[in-house]
Amino acid sequence: MTAPLPSAISLCEYGSRDERIGEIYLDAAAIDRRVLELGAQITHDYQGQDLLLISILKGAIFFMADLARAIDLPVEIDFLAISSYMHEHGETGKKAIRFLKDLDRPVKDKNVLVVEDMIDSGLTLHYIMRSLGLRRPRSLEVCTLFDRPYQRLVDIDVRYVGFEVPDDFFVGYGFDYRQLFRNIPHVAYLRLEPRQPTLF
Amino acid sequence: MTDEASSFSYYRGTKEPSFATRTELEAAKLFDYHRIAWEYEPRTFILDQDERGNIVEAFTPDFFLPDLDLFIEVTEMKQSLVTAKNRKVRKLREKYPDIRIKLLYRKDFVRMAQKYGL
Repeated sequence: MTAPLPSAISLCEYGSRDERIGEIYLDAAAIDRRVLELGAQITHDYQGQDLLLISILKGAIFFMADLARAIDLPVEIDFLAISSYMHEHGETGKKAIRFLKDLDRPVKDKNVLVVEDMIDSGLTLHYIMRSLGLRRPRSLEVCTLFDRPYQRLVDIDVRYVGFEVPDDFFVGYGFDYRQLFRNIPHVAYLRLEPRQPTLF
Repeated sequence: MTDEASSFSYYRGTKEPSFATRTELEAAKLFDYHRIAWEYEPRTFILDQDERGNIVEAFTPDFFLPDLDLFIEVTEMKQSLVTAKNRKVRKLREKYPDIRIKLLYRKDFVRMAQKYGL
């Protein structure tokens, strides 16, 4: 018999000790509850059908993993990776968004649900949806853990939203600060340094 | 900034853009990066006229994104600028309700950069 795993919270406690991490915005239990609700809703909406979940690396991987297990349907998963804006401009000389990693399999005639960690301007998601739409899936919808609709530049129909969130920096549950802190099981505010991280 | 401007792929204007601020240039890069067609200051909107029809106040949004039918005004974080631009955007919406315009803040760039690998 296998021993039960310790909870995620007891596996990762440094989130409460690192001075760069502020107060908890959403604890792991609140995230779990909402993910289960979304899973139930998606299960209902796609009843009797197969479903392909596509996660955008890296921020959405924890949400994707939990959401997939909350959906009571035959679910396929795949991943996309998008080029970094700064990398493209700063090092390679190339200046356009592209897939660093494309899907492993075709999406034609499949029900596709794009799983995002956060939607703000919608610029990147617009590119992803345009690209996936050209591949003629049976349906193409979006599920995001966090949404900032007040920052939207591109109108995108987001079918499933976990939480509408304020205009703050978050870390944990996939959200990073310079690639750190994704593995914290809750979402916390990032305590910005006096010199805030900037793009240019 | 004109050297950088000449390297844009999705610029749809007829004359080379001359950006007033670094933030405008970065916004242009951001649209280009996302493969979104853009124009720079293509239209001036009259906001106020006197009794003789002279233009008292006008507003030229920084960008127009033709595929999205959307004007964009970008702003630095300085509060006085934000307040002034918010007022102009609000006035434009009142006077031209069919025009879609949004303010894009500098901090929005920072957040997008944070998300995609910085």
